[in-house]
Amino acid sequence: MASESTIAAGNPIPVNVITGFLGSGKTTLLQRLLRSPGMSRTVVLINELGEIGLDHLLVERVDEALVLLQNGCICCSIRDDLKSALRGLLSRREREQIPAFDRVVIETTGLADPGPVLYTLLGEPVVRHSFRLGNVVTTVDALNADLHLSRNPEGVKQVAAADRLVITKTDLADAAQIAAVRDMLSRTNPSAEILDAAQIGFDADRVLVEQTRDLTPLMRFRPHVGEPEPAADSTRGLQHNASVASLSLALDEPLDWTAFGIWLSLLLHRHGDNVLRVKGILRVQDAAAPVFINAVQHIVHPPQHLERWPTADQRSRIVFITRGIEHALLARSLAAFSRNRVGAPTPEAA
Amino acid sequence: MCALCGVFLTEAHWTDSSPSPPGSSVRTRRHERQHRVALANRILKHYGFKISDWQGNAYLLSAATGQTAVLPNVAAVWPAAEQLRKRTLDPLDPDLIEALERD
Repeated sequence: MASESTIAAGNPIPVNVITGFLGSGKTTLLQRLLRSPGMSRTVVLINELGEIGLDHLLVERVDEALVLLQNGCICCSIRDDLKSALRGLLSRREREQIPAFDRVVIETTGLADPGPVLYTLLGEPVVRHSFRLGNVVTTVDALNADLHLSRNPEGVKQVAAADRLVITKTDLADAAQIAAVRDMLSRTNPSAEILDAAQIGFDADRVLVEQTRDLTPLMRFRPHVGEPEPAADSTRGLQHNASVASLSLALDEPLDWTAFGIWLSLLLHRHGDNVLRVKGILRVQDAAAPVFINAVQHIVHPPQHLERWPTADQRSRIVFITRGIEHALLARSLAAFSRNRVGAPTPEAA
Repeated sequence: MCALCGVFLTEAHWTDSSPSPPGSSVRTRRHERQHRVALANRILKHYGFKISDWQGNAYLLSAATGQTAVLPNVAAVWPAAEQLRKRTLDPLDPDLIEALERD
């Protein structure tokens, strides 16, 4: 929950995005989170007012209206509905037409590309000044993950954009099904914590975690360079999106931040449509504390300076989730430009 | 903020951010810009371009053919260069990677 100190004047209000494919349990999860005591000052923005059946003071409906920019880049489209809704909330709060609030939760439609939601938070001047992204939570149905992810590119983008993945309907699935979905998700997005909806209870703090305080998955992954492993039967959902795979790199030497920024900006310029996510914690030259980076397709969040390393392992660790990109070439390109040795397989960190 | 569009959405582009927390940088802003120019030119020279600092608040992109463009940040250089020469710049281009490895 946002503490009083984090919601003082001048601090942007956190916005959490709950996404997930149709019928994957977004609304059920939201209903449970809103029963958490710390969620009483939360505004909820949803698409279907009738579906949610919430006894909550502040529920607003939005219409998912996209405003395409002239360059035609879909992920960098302003969600006009969100812009209006968020600006309207500020205005109404100022006029005391609604109570003060310290968090906004946006539930997207099942077919929503998360890119425009994030772009609106970062790119719309008034919104950017008053709100910030808390995290992205994606629900995945244990029974139908295969179907959802195999047929819908939006479903894969939702998984890639996630900071927390919540497996739902686990009470209806057997242990093997749940394990298979967990395995598929951890291989697709190793930077996200994976939770079982049945074990969350009403504890919103476990789900709506600040991105920069949610670094355990980044510190835990096993670095590797290689092409996507052949999908087993249990993970055939991604066979249909077989070109989607993650690359987890560890860099032994401190990075030149300027060199990394130049390289990443060119990578996203040329291949941003197929770089679904970049998330990492960087050890940079001339700085004692690490830098947190986070990009979803072409949308790059401003890099954040962290106060300290979360573990004793102080190597840079970066996850790339890509579609149809040769990982060995990607790692070699980064190494060549940053003059850094990357990807040496190492034992899994504690 | 958008790496594809090069749209100038914030006061400072993310590639211009310092590796150090505010107030603790070991490089001056001028030194940082010179460093950025030198690094970007490692890539650009492969494609027949170079950039230089333009009055401390923009970058001047120059092609070997004499064409020029003034850009607000490094991310805006890539689409401008492609526009000038009708050629793509690709960090995964094996020829570029080989050239960088020889550098």
